[in-house]
Amino acid sequence: MQYVEINVTVNGELYNKTVPANKTLLRFLREDLFLNGVKEGCNEGECGAFTVLVDGEPMNSCLVLAAELNGREVLTVEGLAQDGRLHPLQEAFIEAGAIQCGYCTPGMLMSAVALLNRYPHPTRAQIRKEMEGNICRCTGYTRIADAVLLAVEKMDTAEKNQSPQRNQKVLAGTKK
Amino acid sequence: MAQHVLTPCEKYQREGHEWDRLVVKRKDTDGVETVVGHSQIRKDAIAKATGTAQYGADVNFPGQLYGACTRSPHPHARILSVNTEKARAVPGVRVVITGKDYPEPYGQFIADQPIIALDKVRYQGETVAAVAAETEEAAREAASLVEVEYELLPVVNSIEDSIKNETLIHEDWSRYECSSACFPEQGTNIGDSFHLNKGDVEKGFAEADLIVESKFLCGQLQHTLIETHTATAQANPYTKEIDVWTPNQSPFSIRGLIAKIFGVPTEKVRLIMTDIGGGFGGKYEAKCEPIAVALSLKAGGRPVKLTYDRHEEFEATVCRSTVQYYIKTGVKKDGTLTAQLVTGYWDAGAYVTTNPRVDYNAGFAAVGPYKVPNVKIDTYVCMTNRTLGTAYRGFGVTEAATLHEHQMDIVARKLHMEPLKLRLQNCLHDGDYGVSGDLIMTCAVDECLRAAAENIGWDKLPDRWVDEEGNLCGKGIACFNKLTGTPSTTSCVVKMNENGSLFIWSASREMGQGVTTTLPQFAAESMHMDLDRISVAPVDTTVTPYDKTTTSSRSTFHSGNAVLEACEDIKKQLCKLASIKWSCDENDVTYTDEGYIQRISDAEQRIHIHDVGKSGIMHEQLPVIAIGRYGTSDIFDPPPVDGRQSSRPTVMWMIGAQAAVVKVNPITGLVKVTKMGAAHDIGKAINPTGCLQQIEGAIVMGIGHALMEEMIYEDGNLRNGNMVDYKVPTFMDSDVETKITLVENGHPEGPYGVKGIGEPGLVPTAAAIANAVCHACNTDFDSLPIKPEHILFRKEVND
Ligand code: FES
Repeated sequence: MQYVEINVTVNGELYNKTVPANKTLLRFLREDLFLNGVKEGCNEGECGAFTVLVDGEPMNSCLVLAAELNGREVLTVEGLAQDGRLHPLQEAFIEAGAIQCGYCTPGMLMSAVALLNRYPHPTRAQIRKEMEGNICRCTGYTRIADAVLLAVEKMDTAEKNQSPQRNQKVLAGTKK
Repeated sequence: MAQHVLTPCEKYQREGHEWDRLVVKRKDTDGVETVVGHSQIRKDAIAKATGTAQYGADVNFPGQLYGACTRSPHPHARILSVNTEKARAVPGVRVVITGKDYPEPYGQFIADQPIIALDKVRYQGETVAAVAAETEEAAREAASLVEVEYELLPVVNSIEDSIKNETLIHEDWSRYECSSACFPEQGTNIGDSFHLNKGDVEKGFAEADLIVESKFLCGQLQHTLIETHTATAQANPYTKEIDVWTPNQSPFSIRGLIAKIFGVPTEKVRLIMTDIGGGFGGKYEAKCEPIAVALSLKAGGRPVKLTYDRHEEFEATVCRSTVQYYIKTGVKKDGTLTAQLVTGYWDAGAYVTTNPRVDYNAGFAAVGPYKVPNVKIDTYVCMTNRTLGTAYRGFGVTEAATLHEHQMDIVARKLHMEPLKLRLQNCLHDGDYGVSGDLIMTCAVDECLRAAAENIGWDKLPDRWVDEEGNLCGKGIACFNKLTGTPSTTSCVVKMNENGSLFIWSASREMGQGVTTTLPQFAAESMHMDLDRISVAPVDTTVTPYDKTTTSSRSTFHSGNAVLEACEDIKKQLCKLASIKWSCDENDVTYTDEGYIQRISDAEQRIHIHDVGKSGIMHEQLPVIAIGRYGTSDIFDPPPVDGRQSSRPTVMWMIGAQAAVVKVNPITGLVKVTKMGAAHDIGKAINPTGCLQQIEGAIVMGIGHALMEEMIYEDGNLRNGNMVDYKVPTFMDSDVETKITLVENGHPEGPYGVKGIGEPGLVPTAAAIANAVCHACNTDFDSLPIKPEHILFRKEVND
């Protein structure tokens, strides 16, 4: 087995690790960094439960190798809340009732962060299109779209009021 | 930094519209409740939104091994030999087991299934050996190196093959231990059958002016839970203490089953329940649990984690069986139903599992919520070499509803009657007698049908029309009734902590349906207490009191009653403690509606429930802890096997209706559901958002069942066992204008009148969509899913 040394930033923390060359990012995050919020659903890139951000872009952590991550920046659901305060998207998912069994939720949240990086004020059609790769068996999706729109409102208000929530929008996934 | 206070979002709240609540009848309530009936933030939401909820595969132990299974590539074969030598030689492998190690068969109704195949395999993907190793890679590699010599047997791929009985899947049913609720037929592939007789169908058909016969087939579906099956077991081979961490819906039945398979006393088996990443019936049975236990026992008690991958999930867990139905209906010219005859065959797969219950529940629902004086229903559980059928959000009632609602539309067409009018004319009302001769206490079918229709603007739409883009459009409606598992029992413990907060110990499992929020709501309402101060404790069979299962939409009804009973006792205990403190007679203390423990003779002397912790009344006194129990054995009238007539086959009937508008592209054959209107008689909405969530999610799931999902088998080989080829609805399918009415027709025995809503949201969806597609295309599609090829090669009807 070949091993590779990587320096990777995950949720703002720099890690220096030696990983088997064939280890997926998903298993690296779960097994080596104990970030269990990343979920395994199908290992074929079809369910979306595995979604994390790499340098602000959504990635299938079950199909990417950890060894490729040298020098890159990963954001998982565990990195969304700051100082014990939930990210506006997390608040919105809770308040809009976008969570049932919750297994898809971490992946949905990460796809939503990526969506908002790309379209800060998305339409419902854009939300559907951009988040199509995330499967949810419980909610029927509409409340997830509601939650994204609610989060946009929260972030806009926070920006107006210069509250700390504003920074989170920046933090969430774009390279610092 | 302080957390922002989370409140249900108003702007996007899908309730609060004029259509969304219809109160027919109230029970025990004046509508002034402050917690029950109001939307609440789910108690499990923060953990789930932060990635900190602990699901099955998130459990890890030091020294844990990983399990993997060797699976049969053949759907039907005799096992001649199993050679594990090469597998054992893989570095890191600690244990390899085969069927011989634990040959005790199991099964809820009939013990026909070994945990690892013994003498033959009966479906593709059946486990023939299992491995535990230091890493998952080593385990999977070793599993692939187990050498099995097979003698191939003819494959029973379909219901038609099965009922020929030329090849038997189980040669001798009499070898198995069988419960009194299962009726296999010796020398055949029939694993069970169900027969209901009411009145005299021949007489009913003779009285009819018109006889309509049709058939309907519902295809095989996979639950496609995003969390695959998993279990982690630690089983001490010396003390025989077995601990299992698992996302399962049925802690107590799995406990009993593991005790039996491994020959240990029940109390030595401990099931610790993790969060569940989707249930829907798919996590009702034991799958990974016994194999993980077997591996741990053989590994000297080291913990073993076994997690199925997506392909195993499709091939080797459970599914919703295919069913082929035939129906014959007698009706008078004026639309009055006189008789209905239903015959059905379930493709139950290779082992009987839960199929008798599916068959039973579907049997009671097979004529729908209609007054039919003469009924005969005969249905059969047919064994095939396919994956195992089980419960899937409705226990067969969805399929039954699709059948009778398709038939009602044909009857309406032949009578030139409006489909909704025909349904309203025949539907049951409170106080009518149902299919088993039982008095139906609460049954708002009429209201549900009207509301569902209204929610899509039924009256203003023609049956079919063509839109400006040339799409064929149509509307359809469907209603249903579903029983809940009866008799069944539950219990809970409600315990007051020293600070005056409450724990509820209940084994009703949170699987996204919201029971860990609704049970505290009952307690909060009863005690007039802050919801924040009440929570459901984690479920562990060594401490959590018994509950039958989290299935059949029974939890809110049953566990809700238990919680209310316990809360009454808590109030009494608190009054007693206050009387000690106040040195007065305990009869001089009462618990008020506002949550005060109050002296009757001196209203000034009182303690609010929120101040109990600091009041000192509990200090060094007997702890405040109460038991709540609820069961339906006393009201249950067991339906006899011959004819199933019973004055009370179920404690409650769940009722509802949905209407759909579709547009069909005649060139591509693609169907788009544009509108759904739903109305469900839920008795009482405890957490209205929770009720809506159940129905909204079910509607999108039902779109998949109606138009997309189907497990495809050829000769017992599964052709689409992955999420690329087996398509479930995505975000793109969710663009449906949906209006939902929560109809409250309070049930006299439900807590605050509640019934159930976990399964019902799904039951009429596929039926309503199929009817709408049939109208749009002016045809009779007689199977689900309806795919583009069916549309393109359709035959129009001409009667
Ligand atoms: S909430 Fe269960 S899969 Fe999305």
